[in-house]
Amino acid sequence: MRENAKHTQDGKLSEDIKTGFTVPENYFKGIEDNFLLNLSEKKLPKNNVFEIPKTYFEEFDDHIIEKIKPKKGKLINFKKIKLIPVAATVALIIFFGANFSFNNNSELSSDEIVNWVDVNINTISSDDIAFAFTDLNFDDMNPYFTIESEDIIESLINSDDIDFIIEHANINEIN
Amino acid sequence: MIDEIALVEELQNIQTKEKAFRILIKEYKERLYWHIRKIVISHDDADDVLQNTFIKIFKGIDNFKQDSKLYSWMYRIATNESITFINKRARERNIDITEMKQELVSNLQSDRWFSGNDIELILQEAVATLPEKQQLVFNMKYFDHMKYQEISDILETSVGGLKASYFHAVKKIELYIKKKTH
Repeated sequence: MRENAKHTQDGKLSEDIKTGFTVPENYFKGIEDNFLLNLSEKKLPKNNVFEIPKTYFEEFDDHIIEKIKPKKGKLINFKKIKLIPVAATVALIIFFGANFSFNNNSELSSDEIVNWVDVNINTISSDDIAFAFTDLNFDDMNPYFTIESEDIIESLINSDDIDFIIEHANINEIN
Repeated sequence: MIDEIALVEELQNIQTKEKAFRILIKEYKERLYWHIRKIVISHDDADDVLQNTFIKIFKGIDNFKQDSKLYSWMYRIATNESITFINKRARERNIDITEMKQELVSNLQSDRWFSGNDIELILQEAVATLPEKQQLVFNMKYFDHMKYQEISDILETSVGGLKASYFHAVKKIELYIKKKTH
């Protein structure tokens, strides 16, 4: 069948008598279904039967904006929290790297490690961290991320670095 | 009419994000609310899901690539949040999702935020019996007067498939109402 069927005045298709009117392809195929669908639709109720509290939409905007804003008073320096174990690990890698490359027979006490980290932790640059952790995506460390106090407690309980954090971290929680 | 492209640019700029987000909420909150409400049925649940939807939109807008229209993307989030909500409820109660939907509708009789008469309640019951996609298509087409192409963009289903789903949905609802009222 041709894409746009030509229509005659007696309702039959013809190549000879042309009215110039055309219809979309498959129009007549779907017309019966559409008609039945319309009939069925007309039998169904259409009112909005759901109601809402009067001021719901007026109050919604401020309510949601409040929820997405970083919470004052519970904002923790996320970068610092995240970087403590990272910096510590980097410090240890650099420490071990430096010492073992010159003296493979040396034995290191934990005090030596802690002392070295204490002295050098401020000299570790972001480049050192990036170099040591090439597979970390630092863009994921959203500075606007807020941590609830419950989350911090849970994280600390489950952390392997708990002793290190207690001894060396300087977390300034803003109350 | 809102300029979606300009709005997305403002939403993705940290300096203008909050202001643009207020515009976004103002523009879409009602449409998204009614879309969600028809799926989760109760006002309180719809409120929870709408809030989660906007929070997800806020968090995800930086990764929105404008491959689809903003409203389609937001409708998809709202739809997914609504379905996830019902699934979670069903899991908590250890029942099937269809049973969960019917339970939500059966609570309507005592719901202070429902004003329908008997036949309108039966219509809601009938909608709840439909498979998920037919239910979504029916609500979007019949109540929200959305075009098939718009629904297709949101549900990522062909227009032909949607037409068939809608046709079956209407027929099933008609039959359900007929059985209930005769």
